[in-house]
Amino acid sequence: MRSLSIGATGMLAQQLNVEVISNNIANMTTTGYKRQRAEFQDLLYQSLRRVGAASSDAGTIVPAGVQIGAGVQSAAVYRIHEQGTMEVTDNPLDVAISGDGYFQVELPNGDTAYTRSGSFQLNPDGEIVTADGYRVTGPNAIPEDAIEISINDSGEILVVLDGQVEPQNVGQFQLAIFANDAGLEAIGNNLFLETPASGDPQTGVAADEGFGDVKQGLLEGSNVNIVSEITQLIAAQRAYEMNSKVITTTDEMMRSTSNLR
Amino acid sequence: MENTIYAGLSRQMALRRQMEVVANNIANMSTAGYRSEQMLFVEYMNEPEGPGYREDDAVAMVLDQGTVRDMRPGPQVRTDNPFDVAIEGRGYLVVETPAGPRYTRNGHLSLDVDRQLVDGSGLPVLGDGDRPITVPQNAGDVSISANGDVSAGGQLLGSIRLVEFDDELRMVPLGGGLYVTNQVPADSADTELRQGFIEQSNVLPIVEMTRMIEVSRSYQSTSRLLSDEHERQRQTIRRFGQMMTA
Repeated sequence: MRSLSIGATGMLAQQLNVEVISNNIANMTTTGYKRQRAEFQDLLYQSLRRVGAASSDAGTIVPAGVQIGAGVQSAAVYRIHEQGTMEVTDNPLDVAISGDGYFQVELPNGDTAYTRSGSFQLNPDGEIVTADGYRVTGPNAIPEDAIEISINDSGEILVVLDGQVEPQNVGQFQLAIFANDAGLEAIGNNLFLETPASGDPQTGVAADEGFGDVKQGLLEGSNVNIVSEITQLIAAQRAYEMNSKVITTTDEMMRSTSNLR
Repeated sequence: MENTIYAGLSRQMALRRQMEVVANNIANMSTAGYRSEQMLFVEYMNEPEGPGYREDDAVAMVLDQGTVRDMRPGPQVRTDNPFDVAIEGRGYLVVETPAGPRYTRNGHLSLDVDRQLVDGSGLPVLGDGDRPITVPQNAGDVSISANGDVSAGGQLLGSIRLVEFDDELRMVPLGGGLYVTNQVPADSADTELRQGFIEQSNVLPIVEMTRMIEVSRSYQSTSRLLSDEHERQRQTIRRFGQMMTA
């Protein structure tokens, strides 16, 4: 019976749904995390009696045919790139982007990755790096005798050197924006890679047209809404149970058939 | 002679179909824009001819006449994704496929590489004049108004076409949330879009569960009917046999 496999597709879909929701909940406090949502589509249909087919030689037609669907499939797990909540950290190297844009990060293999997580540190050479030690594109190395680092809204890094009054500009964060944020490929560690679906990055600096502002001393939290995730989790679990009931019921029907004789 | 068994068989075949429809509804409980379906049964009268049958000896069989879609709107949930739109009213979005226009209620849209507005499967969503809508680079935040106007940074980019049909039941589902029909689409004036929302499937889980219990119980009772009938025939034959030997 088809309903066995239809129930199985339903269980698989809800399993994926629970996986996506649990990943959102697990990343509730991950800086710059963007929540994901699973999207489903109905599978193809088998027409057993076609709509609009002639039902008599007098020209009457079938008003509603018999179409039996084959279940459900997962269409996409897409990311919702809504702004996360801003958290004040007062750490001079914590920066958040308010608005569109990603920081560019140089991966060890030479590729460029993109991130919204602006929890940066300095490496031994004074360069601004991510928590994994990958260099952030834009700013130059910060001199050793810098006593104060300030970053303005357009991402310019100004340092005050020991014994000087005038701040010096040591570079500016390079930001990138994409046509389709949802098409970026997540590689973990808060990093994203460009794909054909995301389009080529358009680089620029903060506060330019189309780019967000850089805010010092703040971090962008995840945009996971825990209440809505928990309610979705409950709904997904119930849906999973109901699909398993479909399988049990089908099994019972098949058993009563095989007990006929 | 075998009519009881055939009538029971027609019932069981219909119930199996109905079970498949219920299973598909439950599987698509979280499919955006999905419309639940229901089986429609009719009585099929079979008048046997030949010696031993009278005129009113008709046997009523069950025939599955059609599947009917429930056209009630599904609940809307907020996703806050600027490219998610929920359709309020009878309208459908028009998407372009190589095989011609297809219609969908699933309002999960996005931009493709060419910055065209596409549906969840990457098919271009058509705007006024059946042209796809392109959002230019750094145009700013995209907003979609209730009547389908897509604008970015205060500039109107196009209007999403919303169409409706005289007879929605004659639209054939193709899977992937798409429908096809040979009816001529009419522009829908009273359909509205709501940005940041998605229309969920209108499957009512409790109704489907009760329907499933009903199907399973009816199936079992028909099975019992069939085995009782079988037992009756066996006993009849045995008694005839005893009469012959007596």
